[in-house]
Amino acid sequence: MDIVSLTKKAKASLKKANDLVQLEKAHKELLGKNGEINLLLKTLSSLSPDKRKESGKALNRLKDELEQILQSKRNYLKEKTTLEKLKGEVIDVSLPGRISDLGTIHPITSTIFEISKFFNAIGFDIVSGPEAETDYYNFESLNIPEDHPAKDMHDTFYLQNDLLLRTHTSPVQVRTMEKKKPPIRIICPGRVYRKDFDLTHTPMFHHIEGLVIEKGASFAVLKGLLKDFVIDFFGKDIELRFRPSYFPFTEPSAEVDIKWKKGWLEILGCGMVHPNVLKMSGIDVKKYSGFAFGLGPERIAMLKHEIPDLRIFFENDLRFLEQF
Amino acid sequence: MQFSKNWLKEFVDIKVSTEELCEQLTMLGIEVSDYKNFQSKLTGNDAVIKLDITPNRGDCFSILGVARELSALYGSKLYYPKPKAVKETVESPINVKICEESPAYVGRYITQLDLKKRTPLLIKERLKLSEMRSIDPIVDITNYVLLELGQPLHIFDRDQLQGNLRVRFAKNNEKIILLDEKSIKLSKDCLVIADDQSAVAFAGIMGGLKTGVTVKTKSIYLESAFFKPEAIRGKPRRYGIQTDASMRFERGVDFSLQSLAVKRASALIQEIVGGDFGPVQQFVNKAALPKTKLISFNPSRINKILGSKLTKASMSKILNRLGIEILSSQKRNVLKGKIPSWRFDLDIEADLVEEVARLVGYDKLPENSMKPEIRNKSDLLNQSIRSNFQSLGYNEVITYSFVSQDEAEFTNKKKELILIENPISQNMSVMRPSLLQGLLNTFSYNYNRGIEDLKIFEIGSVFRKKNKYLIIEEVLVGGLISGHAKALNWFESRAKFDFYDLKGDLETISSGLSFRQATFPFLHPGIAATIFKGKKQLGYIGSLDPKLMDKIDIKQDVHFFELTLKGFKFLDQNKFKDFSRFPLAQRDLSFVVKNDVPAKEVMDLIIQKSGKELKDIDIFDVYEGKGIPEGKKSLAFSLFWQAANRTMTDSEIDDIVEEIVSLLSNKLDAKLRTE
Repeated sequence: MDIVSLTKKAKASLKKANDLVQLEKAHKELLGKNGEINLLLKTLSSLSPDKRKESGKALNRLKDELEQILQSKRNYLKEKTTLEKLKGEVIDVSLPGRISDLGTIHPITSTIFEISKFFNAIGFDIVSGPEAETDYYNFESLNIPEDHPAKDMHDTFYLQNDLLLRTHTSPVQVRTMEKKKPPIRIICPGRVYRKDFDLTHTPMFHHIEGLVIEKGASFAVLKGLLKDFVIDFFGKDIELRFRPSYFPFTEPSAEVDIKWKKGWLEILGCGMVHPNVLKMSGIDVKKYSGFAFGLGPERIAMLKHEIPDLRIFFENDLRFLEQF
Repeated sequence: MQFSKNWLKEFVDIKVSTEELCEQLTMLGIEVSDYKNFQSKLTGNDAVIKLDITPNRGDCFSILGVARELSALYGSKLYYPKPKAVKETVESPINVKICEESPAYVGRYITQLDLKKRTPLLIKERLKLSEMRSIDPIVDITNYVLLELGQPLHIFDRDQLQGNLRVRFAKNNEKIILLDEKSIKLSKDCLVIADDQSAVAFAGIMGGLKTGVTVKTKSIYLESAFFKPEAIRGKPRRYGIQTDASMRFERGVDFSLQSLAVKRASALIQEIVGGDFGPVQQFVNKAALPKTKLISFNPSRINKILGSKLTKASMSKILNRLGIEILSSQKRNVLKGKIPSWRFDLDIEADLVEEVARLVGYDKLPENSMKPEIRNKSDLLNQSIRSNFQSLGYNEVITYSFVSQDEAEFTNKKKELILIENPISQNMSVMRPSLLQGLLNTFSYNYNRGIEDLKIFEIGSVFRKKNKYLIIEEVLVGGLISGHAKALNWFESRAKFDFYDLKGDLETISSGLSFRQATFPFLHPGIAATIFKGKKQLGYIGSLDPKLMDKIDIKQDVHFFELTLKGFKFLDQNKFKDFSRFPLAQRDLSFVVKNDVPAKEVMDLIIQKSGKELKDIDIFDVYEGKGIPEGKKSLAFSLFWQAANRTMTDSEIDDIVEEIVSLLSNKLDAKLRTE
């Protein structure tokens, strides 16, 4: 075969190759050890040196040219194969992923966290105490003597040996005042109990109460602090008011209302700690004054999440809990 | 208490709308809980106003008392009632002997009454607005005066009384049948009104049935008394009898009001029912009456407490309006306030601080932000534990701290239980000794509503009786899992939760826990363990006992743990430790041991011989069956070593493995499995 027809044939067979196998086969047939180019090269020895040199050059050029064509065809076919393979690997991205369920924190707990965070940031320690309390810490030390009509507001559960379930977390305040010297800034969240079970009462609920005993703790500071808290919690557009109220353990006493929808809604009770309470807890009333405040996380959580029924908090229906 | 606005207007000029009036009362500390404007056929535009009166303000349980507050706020005149005198035309057949606890008793004999007369419409309307039933003109008049002045009145049917009256303490177990026809036994600290024969009224609380007014009544004895609050307090609650009278006497009735009330009632009785009147009989023991209170106060201290800058003069003016007379004192900067007879709630300077603040208006007092201080960072709210459980897919629950006794006895003996003396119901009569009961109830509640897969946890106190005197209250965290571990999905089959899911969650949250096989009466005998950290037992874990499941109708496996939070640090504050950058050497070793040998025991022995370079050891296969002798199991471990400062050699590791194999062979008769 002469070079011209070989060139023609080679190019045709490379062109014809549709996949890598055919291409490599053609490669072997043309450029392999016993390929046609080598065979042709071997026949050159019979030619004259001049002719041989010329034909040799031509064949080598052909060889280079074929190698080049081969390489680019190889690249092309590789890419084509990959593309074809990837085409078969298309997944349905709309199928759901492998989810791990996140749990939830109870809305009462989150509310307690959020409230505590505000007070903790300005130096209030978070303190806890027993839920089974003595009459002394729950009532007497808080200026609520036996037979006082204020006791009617606290329908109490009684346990063995004159112990009772605390009706507020104020006993923790007294216990702290007895143990710790002023200045005191504490916040006491926890469960409290009152014997009442209807649409708007559950026999167990939560309180967060705060206490400040320091020089210069005045009604003005109490007002400022609670206003800052309410704004921090409900946003700067919230309207609030302080109005007189009554608690045996504070004097003067106040309640804080916020404007909610159309009316005023009570959210906090507070006041200057009653001198009797301070004295009983061993605080030097000539040196220190104090104020205290308390609020119900249930009520706050109901407002915040627009929950209509208090009792749902303790039913623990997962369809409820999973919303928070 | 609720009442007509027009009635109030008879005592004080009101120039504002009902809405503003109610706002003013609320801001004075007399909370208006509701009000409604309406058209009265008798008096035209009117409103009914409902008050929530705090227990300290007994003086506000009357129209007069509320009017007095408004007149102080407005600085306007209070129209004190001046009833027309009713002439006495007959003598009184009755004498009253009083005692220390009833230092003022004003009575009046009235006869020739005609109880067929009708109560005037205006009185009827006002009583109705105040939620009082119209009964007969005499009773209606006494209720009317009670509402108007705050002085409870009582009427005896004179013809049923035997001889004279006497206020005294009850004899022990003295019986009386009250107006509501209930018979009660009194104790010695109860005050009664008695005639010559027996007790005829539970003083200040309710009259007796026998001497009550009936349609046949012709003659009455009208009682207007002052009983000391201490003598009445506590009894209404003790006997479950709350009346309009007891509510007022407990909180304190103005002790200068008794005569006025009798005169007011007399005038109304004469006008409506007629009759012949005896003298107004005043039985008073002045020495036993409450002392007029003098309270010293320091205006600059009041300013300090309020953070205000009020002048001495403005404070005095405010207190004056409230009926507090200001006297000077010998001490510099100190004044004295003479407290009026109706204010039982004012005793000390702090009480006057509130009076000043109230009248100035709480909203008008200054406010200052609080200066922040350095805080102690703490995690007393167990926030990190909670968020750990949350990320593991647990829903936090809050269950009631009380359970039924049956439930409580799942976990604890009867003698350890704390019973509530006055429970809401039998289902809530014992303080929970464990978190199990509440979590089981939550499980059942949700299971019955079609939610069968759940992971829940709770943090809260449990209560146990240590001995007769001591309650142990401890904060625990408890968790319960049940149902499928994964939601229904397209990529894998759904396994059910088992013991190891729960155990693994705990191990994820806290390192260094160890678990020892144990038995608990309420847990599966083969699937339960105590949980230790070091030598300290923290709690337990296990699957619910199938017998208990049967008993309480639980239809799928439930796995539960509870742990004390004390000493159980979930997230340690770690300091950076440098780590080795040399390659890890790995070996896999399988041992065949008797199948009752705990994996932990094998692992501990391996660790013992592995040297300090051992970085990690994992169990990657547990196998019993084909290829393993009967009664044995194969445990496969993957071990990883890494030295801090060099690459470990194969021969080094070979030596270690050899030692491990020989130790396990000696101790456990374990054979190394070679593939």
